[in-house]
Amino acid sequence: MGIALVFEAVGWGVRGASFLFSGQRLLVMVLQVSIIGLLAVGVTQVILTGGIDLSSGSVVALSAMIAASFAQTPTARAVFPSLTGLPVFVPVTAGLLTGALAGLVNGSLIAYTGTPPFIATLGMMVSARGLARYYTRGQPVSMLTESFTRIGEGAVPVFIFLVTAIIFHVLLGHTRYGKYTYALGANAQAARVSGIRVSRHLMFVYTIAGLLSGLGGVVTAARAASGQAGMGMSYELDAIAASVIGGTSLSGGIGRITGTVIGTVILGIMTSGFTFIGLDAYIQDIVKGGVIVAAVVADRYRHRGKNA
Amino acid sequence: MLRRIVRFAGVLAALLILIGTSSCGTSTSPARQVVGVSMAYFDDNFLTILRAAMADYAKTFPGVVLQFTDAQGDVGKQLSQIQNFVAQGVVAIIANAADTSGTRSMTKVARDAGVPLVYVNRRPAEDTLPEGVVFVGSEELQAGTLEMEELARVMNYRGNVAIMVGELTSNGAQLRTKAVEQVVAKYPGMSIVEKQVGNFQRERGLDLMNNWLTAGTKIDAVAANNDEMAIGAIMAIRQAGIPDGKILVGGVDATPDGLAELVKGTLAVTVFQDARRQAKGAVDAAVALVRGERMDRFVWIPFELVTRDNYKSFLNR
Repeated sequence: MGIALVFEAVGWGVRGASFLFSGQRLLVMVLQVSIIGLLAVGVTQVILTGGIDLSSGSVVALSAMIAASFAQTPTARAVFPSLTGLPVFVPVTAGLLTGALAGLVNGSLIAYTGTPPFIATLGMMVSARGLARYYTRGQPVSMLTESFTRIGEGAVPVFIFLVTAIIFHVLLGHTRYGKYTYALGANAQAARVSGIRVSRHLMFVYTIAGLLSGLGGVVTAARAASGQAGMGMSYELDAIAASVIGGTSLSGGIGRITGTVIGTVILGIMTSGFTFIGLDAYIQDIVKGGVIVAAVVADRYRHRGKNA
Repeated sequence: MLRRIVRFAGVLAALLILIGTSSCGTSTSPARQVVGVSMAYFDDNFLTILRAAMADYAKTFPGVVLQFTDAQGDVGKQLSQIQNFVAQGVVAIIANAADTSGTRSMTKVARDAGVPLVYVNRRPAEDTLPEGVVFVGSEELQAGTLEMEELARVMNYRGNVAIMVGELTSNGAQLRTKAVEQVVAKYPGMSIVEKQVGNFQRERGLDLMNNWLTAGTKIDAVAANNDEMAIGAIMAIRQAGIPDGKILVGGVDATPDGLAELVKGTLAVTVFQDARRQAKGAVDAAVALVRGERMDRFVWIPFELVTRDNYKSFLNR
């Protein structure tokens, strides 16, 4: 919140206008991070189990490419010339399945071969990016149907992000799925002894994170009206940052979706705020890095002694 | 003990087979000449066209094979790729610099090994190039000048301009931006009101434009460093319900997507960078240097202005 107030103050000086009190600007702030937000909701659950997911940005690119290739209009230099003008559920399903499949591979490797999550998802991060490039040999997939691009227009991505966040907030807080997830991260051994099928549940969590990356890919492609292999570059780090700024502990077991949403919005406030006050582009990343660390340090201080 | 001997023998056998096959490979086709190509990015739209054009054109030289690697925008990675090419014994190297200010060490590696080196598309920051090193590409300043002069003309040399800058480390972004600023400075009725980085990406262009529009800045024209960011700006303008043409948008590259917007009238101007001529020039230069022919150190391929009046001739280039 403090960050927003800083921009508010500087904004008055520079622009002579309010940074926060503009409905349109608040929308744009969340809109530009809504895809990061989708990934952050996924990675928060993975981090809760004590794991990490580095593959989400690359999976965004791969699912964006695959979704876009099934959403082309007949006039385009299409990837599949015989499969154009398809109803909107085809590309959406293709994108979601791609993401879920990538997540399933991550989860299986981690749960059944004991590969450390960092390594398994690092491998997926490299391979998925490679696959996205290989799919069309680096060519962008454009000229998409209007019914598909509508998914990314106006406030729709914000709506998708918030609905997803609410669903997983409820799932984590009020169902067995959530209890197992927290239990796994807090103490995997205890979880196993108390009868939770740890491997199966881990696989499930990674698959969901993959599914959300797939959803992120679909929304990205729809938003840009194009699928490109360079999409989602370093989104995984922004997503992890959003989650950690929101109070998720990297050692697992502690964190909430509401915190992740706040973390995501803080990233959005920064991006909009930098542009609003016209901060020099060379300086923006320097400040952003500092703010991420500062936010976590501040959070630590507030929770000192509270086992956080 | 026995197991260890067996394992050692196995490794030895595998090595021998490897050496055998690799030497066979070279002896059966002595005319095969490998040219190593290190690209800054495999997933950049323009560079993909350039890469495909090089691969196509190289086929017209019997025996010449291009071997592509992706530096993923990393100078260090690119330098190791160049070193690997040299170690592998390629006849020449074509490099599309990941960072145009980091070319000095690549030039040195190639020079020390006596392997001809051709830089393509992104101009090395050095003022002069040594013997056996050539640059083939376009003058980036010209792209910005062509783009902004046309926008200025349509704007009647009056109004507010916003600039979308590409990747800060790229020579193209720096020089195109500089040229746009120089043109605007020439006309007293015009000024630059916004300037931010969009990393050459469509989504970033969209986000930037959204932010500017909601900040309430009065913008009459957007000069983007490439078509992708320009398209992002166009999408943001459309979604904000502002009528087409009220804010002029200019780009660079004349990609198929960019030309499609030009046809619709949403993109006012773009600048054609001739990927095929750059590709042809680079491969020709590599072949000429291998043959020991003398040639100019800088081969300039001109940019061309594209507007609604002449776009048709660019649709299939």
